[in-house]
This record gives sequence, C-alpha cells and structure tokens, in this order.
Amino acid sequence: MEFYDVREIDGYTTSITYDNGEVDEISENFVTGGAARALAGGSFGFTSVDDVTKVGAAIKDAIAIARRLDRLNPQPSIGLAPIPKIKKSAYRVKKNPADVSLEDKQGLLKAIEEALGGGLVKSTKVAYSESYSHHLFRSSEGDEAEFEVYRTGFSCIAVAKDGDNMQMGRRSYFNSGGYEVFDQCDPIKLAGEAREEALTLLKAGPPPGGRFNVIMDPELAGVFIHEAVGHASEADTVLEGDSCIEGMLGKKVGSKLVTVRDDPTLVRYGYYPYDSEGVPSQPTTIIEDGVLKAYLNSRETAAKLGGHPGNARAGGLMRPVVRMSNTFIDNGEMSREEVFEGVDGIYLKGSRGGQVNTGEGIFQFNAVMGYVVKDGRLEKPIRDVSISDHTLKTLNNIARVGNDLKFSSGRCGKAGQGVPVADGSPHVLIEDAVVGGSA
Amino acid sequence: MSLKNLVELALREGATEAEVFYSKGRVVTVETLRGNVGFAEESVSDGVGVRVIARNAIGYSSVNDPRKYEEAVRAAVRCAKARGPDPFLKGLPVPRQYKSVTGVYDKRIADMGLDTCIDTAAAMVAGARIDKDVAVTFGKFSSQASETVILNSNGVDAHDVDTAAYGYVDVILKKDGQVSTAYDYDVSRALDADFTKIGARAADLAKSSLNAVSIESKTCDVLLGPQAFSDIMEGTLLFAINSENVQKGRSVLADKIGKKISVGGLTMIDDGLLPGGLGTSGFDDEGVPTQKTTIVGDGALETFIYDSYTAGKAGRESTGNAVRGTYQLSPKVGPHNVRFECPRGDVVGETGDGVYVNSIIGAHTANPITGDFSVECRNSFVVEGGVKTKPIKSLMISGNAFEFLKSIDGMGRDDRKIGAFVVPTVRIKDVHVTRGSQ
Repeated sequence: MEFYDVREIDGYTTSITYDNGEVDEISENFVTGGAARALAGGSFGFTSVDDVTKVGAAIKDAIAIARRLDRLNPQPSIGLAPIPKIKKSAYRVKKNPADVSLEDKQGLLKAIEEALGGGLVKSTKVAYSESYSHHLFRSSEGDEAEFEVYRTGFSCIAVAKDGDNMQMGRRSYFNSGGYEVFDQCDPIKLAGEAREEALTLLKAGPPPGGRFNVIMDPELAGVFIHEAVGHASEADTVLEGDSCIEGMLGKKVGSKLVTVRDDPTLVRYGYYPYDSEGVPSQPTTIIEDGVLKAYLNSRETAAKLGGHPGNARAGGLMRPVVRMSNTFIDNGEMSREEVFEGVDGIYLKGSRGGQVNTGEGIFQFNAVMGYVVKDGRLEKPIRDVSISDHTLKTLNNIARVGNDLKFSSGRCGKAGQGVPVADGSPHVLIEDAVVGGSA
Repeated sequence: MSLKNLVELALREGATEAEVFYSKGRVVTVETLRGNVGFAEESVSDGVGVRVIARNAIGYSSVNDPRKYEEAVRAAVRCAKARGPDPFLKGLPVPRQYKSVTGVYDKRIADMGLDTCIDTAAAMVAGARIDKDVAVTFGKFSSQASETVILNSNGVDAHDVDTAAYGYVDVILKKDGQVSTAYDYDVSRALDADFTKIGARAADLAKSSLNAVSIESKTCDVLLGPQAFSDIMEGTLLFAINSENVQKGRSVLADKIGKKISVGGLTMIDDGLLPGGLGTSGFDDEGVPTQKTTIVGDGALETFIYDSYTAGKAGRESTGNAVRGTYQLSPKVGPHNVRFECPRGDVVGETGDGVYVNSIIGAHTANPITGDFSVECRNSFVVEGGVKTKPIKSLMISGNAFEFLKSIDGMGRDDRKIGAFVVPTVRIKDVHVTRGSQ
C-alpha cells in the first residue's frame, strides 16, 4: 500500500524570564513549516520543510524516500487503522495572551518574584511562556483536520542559602489555554510554597536507605504512572519487545485499587483535539481495577494490536510517535487522612524527574523532598531521596488510593522529541518500596 | 533579505547593536521499526536568531520562515525595549582572530546519501544479532552537515561548516525467563568510527548482564564507566562551573576559586580547540574565539567559564563559552569539551573489591545545586581481584558529585567523548551502594 499525510504548522512562542529580580530574557520565536510522511510497503519516508509553499515537493520527497527504503530493505507491509469519524470542536481560548500587554505580564512576574524572595532565599527565577500553534492536516485518504492550540503558564524557583547549605524549591502552573490559566491557579500562593519548600529543605536531613512503606503525593505518583506504566503501555514499545506488560492484555497487572487512564480530551497540559495523524482524540482506560485493558496506539500499532488510534504525537515538525497525553491514576475512595492513617514509613513529595527501563520494568524517581512518617504523622523532613523498584511489583503493592486526584504539567521526551503532557494521581500508599538514601 | 541587511534593519528600528545568527542543517536519519530498518528521513532546515541591544537591554527573536525574517528583527527590538536598561550589559563581541580547528568537518559525511545511511543502519542492526535471543528495540543512524554564520554590527563575521555522524543501538535479551537490556552508541565529527560494531557491542553487554546476582548494601570502591561518570557530573559539576550560575548564587563553587575542590594531581580543562571534539569550533556561538581553559589545576579551582555577558558582569574577558543548541535560543554559557589530565592506569585491574557501573538511570534527578544524587545503576558488575565478574541485578548508588571529586582514586585510559565531556572510567573510594528491588 502507498500512503502519505502532511501537517502544516504555524505558530509562535513568547518567553519572559526574570532572574534575581531582573529581566533575564524576553524573546519571541516564530515556527512555521510542513512535515510530510509517506508509507511504501513496510517503509516510512519522512521530510520536513521550513517554507510551507514547498509542501508539495516535500510530499514527493517523502514518497521517494519511502520507496527507496522499501526497495533496498524490503520489510513486511504495514497497515494503518482507519481514522474514526468523530466530529471535534477544539477548546476555545478565553483570554488571548496576545491581547495582554508585555507590561502586564511583567507586572505579574514581578509580583511572583517578590513572593519568592527575601530572608534566606538568595536567588529567584520566574519564567513565563505562552505558545500558539495552528495546525492543518491532510492525507492521501482524504482525511482533513484544522485546529489551533494555546499553552500558557509560569514556573518559579527559590534558592535558599544557609552557610554552605543551598536548597531549591519550585512550583509551576501550565495549562492548555490562554491567559485564563492564571485564573485557574494562585501564582502568588504557589510562589510562597516554592519559598517554603526551599526553606524546609535547608532543615531536611539525609534519607534512610532500604525498604519502606511509602506514601507518594499526587505529583510523584503521577510521574510514576507516566514513566513506569504509561511508557510501557505505548504500543510501539510493546511491539519492539521492550515492554514489561507485553502480552498481558486482560490480565491482572496491579492491585485492584488501581485504575489508570490516558485522556487527551481533558483540558490539561497534554490536551489535543486531533493527534499528529489527524485522528480525533479520545480517552483510553489502560488499567481498570488492576487489569490491563488497552495499550496506547498510533494508526500503525492499532492495526497490529487492536485498540483505537489517537495517541500519535509529534514534537513540532518531527515524525509522529506513540505518546501519552493526560495520564493519571483515577480516584479511589479514601480521603488523604485515611491514606496516611497508622502508616509507619516515608512520605515522598514532588518529582525532580525520573527514568525507566520499560523492557526490564525498572524505574527510578527522585522526589523533591520527603518526611519520615510515624503512625500517620509527618516527622523530620528528608531530602535527595529517590525511589527505585520494579514496575509490576509496585503496581501490586499499591495498598491505598486517595480521592484527591491532582494533575501536574510537564514535557515528556521520547525519540528525541518533547511534547507537553500532564500526569495525575491522588495520594497513594505503596507497601515495601525501595528507597535510596545515604543515611 | 540578506543577513547583513537584517543587521542594518535592526539598527534602523532603533537597536544600538545587532547580531544575526544563521544556521542551516541537512540531516539524513535512518531508524528501526520492530527491529529492522523501517524509517528514513532527509530534511534541510535553516533559520535565524536575531539578538539586539536597544535602550541598553537585550532582545531576542528567532524565525525559520524567510518571509518572516524582518518580522523577527522587529520583534527582537520590541523585546529589548520592553525590558528596561541592564547596567551589566557591556555590548556584543568585537572582531578577533580565530584559531583554526581540525577534525570537525568530513566531506564523506556531508556527501553521505540515503543509501549509505540505510546500509550503515542495517549493518549496525545485523551486528546485534550475534545471539538469536537478542532483539533490537531501537536503532538509529544519522549523518548531518551544518553551516553557521554569525554577523554583528561591531564587525564580527564568522562562518564555519561542520559534520557529525551518530549511531545508536538498544537491545533486549530474553532467555530462560531472564531479561537484560543494554545500549551502545558512537558519535563522531569525522567518519573515523566503525558504526557497524555498535550493535555487537550492545548485544555483548546484554549477554554479559544476564544471570545477574544481588549484592548486599555496603560501602565500597565504585568504578564509574565513562557514561556513568559523565552522567553524574553533567548536571552538577558543569552546572557549578558555569559563571551564570555563579553570578546568580546557584553554584556551590562560587567562593572556591583558588581552593582545593578535588583530589590533588587532577587537572580539568575545557578545550574548545580539541581536534575532532564534539564541542570543538574556532569561535563560540556569539563569534568569540574559543580557547583552552584550565578550570581545575592540580585539584584547585582556577576559573569558571564565561560568555561575553557574564564576563562583562565580572569585569573580565570571555572564555569563549557562549553556546546555543539551536538558532531558536539566545546564547548561554556552556562548555565545549571538558577533559581531565592526571596519571592514568588500569583502574579495573587495580581494584580488589568493588563495583563497576556502566551507566545509570535517573542522572538528571541529581540536585544541581548541592550535587546530591541517588540513582539506579544499569549493566553493573562485581569486581573481584581486578576482574569484572558477576553482573548485578539491581543496585542504587547515592552520594554527592562534589564529594566524589575529592574521592577520585584513579582514572583509566579509556577516554570517551560523551556530550560535553571526554572522560575515562573513574574509580571513586567509599561509595554507598544500596541493594535494589530484586
């Protein structure tokens, strides 16, 4: 079979960075271009151009590359699942950030910076960004889509110093949408939390190492579900033989308290109305009551493994790859207090990132900070603490799930491309987890 | 509109100084799908970054569509005017003589066509199949050629071409209910690496990592392979020697100039002129000549690395360390090729009892300010009597990158180019290792 599709993007990003009370950078970046993808037999050809008037030539080049590869290195033919015919209406921006003056934006950032600094906080940084992109999609099968997406938000960092001890606290809020994202959060309160975090970390001790009952906050549990479970459920990874949940559809992979979803239709940071293959977005239940229900698919992987397409995303003008959107552990029935009740162990908060080996099913995440927990009460703060374990064992050991689902925004890297995503979870209790520490 | 005209347009729009950074790249990439070559890309892209000074502040804009070049110039001037004057700004660089560098351009890479790239990628993948149970989960080969032009209103007029080839293979080995994974890669500015061997090296590592044992938590000598050592030091040591972080109060080394920060006998150099180095270039990304900068001399911190802006703020000369990943970013302080000079030896052979770590998972979670980290090890081995013996199932190492510098107990002869580092296997004394989950 021969096939092509083509995307045209036109957009801009405005960034403002304040560093130690001064503007560090104001920049505007414009991105335009087209990306053409072609399939010939079992081979994909791809090319991108900066000048959208050259898209016609790009399609011809992509087809030529695919044919050449197919001739030199023939592989079994690849099929593509059809695009479901669902009518979509994209989220409409409430406050166009371009209508807000640079001065007003700088005023907001200055207020955030003031709430961060002073006392032992010696260094601060506030970054604002807004981005807009307009997308046009069409394929040789006659499918078409057109939509636009705004993403707006800020991040802030406070660095506190006491003698040689230097610690950092961070907060951010980003969402899909325009300037209305600042009505969804309280930036000044978030800045205060970043400041408090840095100051608390100054007093924090080194963590103990070993096995503990661990309560993860929504941010860290969200990173766990994204990194350890979400990536293993990406069908391209499954087909490469690099997923620890390959061949487990319909089987129990975790505690019955665990339900995991990926939902690009939610207006969170990973929102999109259509994916980069022109497929209208729809939610996927990956795990329901501990049973693996579905993988995340592109058109190619859906044709091979079943399931619906709609999770093929591209970073800018790069090629579409199976990706997550807004991925979360769904609410359980316990309140936050009930999750903590009677627990002796460690409470881990926030994420400084992590990494996962999807094939062996091993993950490592670093928490921003933690507390030793005695009988459900927070005791001394600890820092530079990480958790590392086996993905399936950890899913099985989830013993309590709260009802306080909360999302965090981030960028996910895969195949050298970054795309915006949100991760979410309520507070969860994991029994017998491995915590890395030096004390 | 020519680049020179863009500089002039900026001055007419009210800029007092202006710089245009142009880059153009051609890339051919071939990747695997389900273990076999199945994806190919050939793209050419170019764009400009415009940096201006107006009302004594910097503004920046970038664009990739030639029809919007002038719009970007006006946006940069608008950004600068919105900021308010910056008292530390000393202006854009002035013209200076560049030293010539070698080994950064290879016509064979620049001329490499799709067919050759497909053949190379296919050979890399075939090499991994030394064992029928090894599957390639990802393989990639790419060749790229780029051109860079920097023009500014002070007369800087820099032009260069360079090339790079990159190969990567990730494998999984499943045998008798056991799973192991491994990867290997090579990157070179010239076509002097044998990319076809990458697959076999990754497969060998996966094979030797099978049938792993658990070890108990303890404190012992740890041998960090080049990848593991550079992963730990990249986010911590390279963060701390960056003058921007020093000036903004985020570097623990800020007040350590002239003081011992590592074991004696250790010298660390950022060498922008290193033949064939991944970060080598005659000029940095704002047109300042690159140089050899001794950052640590015999264990003592001698200097940080600077670009024009941070140098102006510190009242000294730039060390030629302005870098930008793409034309979309304004230049920031960054290293070129950081290498170590110290006595080298057979660090594995000299180790009686320890652990060898090939690579780590989660290095970017290290705390850049304090240097504290706690990471999971990959492809690690027990070292007994100077020999790597049994593979280790799962292991975490914890510590502090800056303390590690003071506990370096030997460096190997196996220097490898990894990102901004050229580093060998490094032995660190008395590291805390924690038994993993399995």
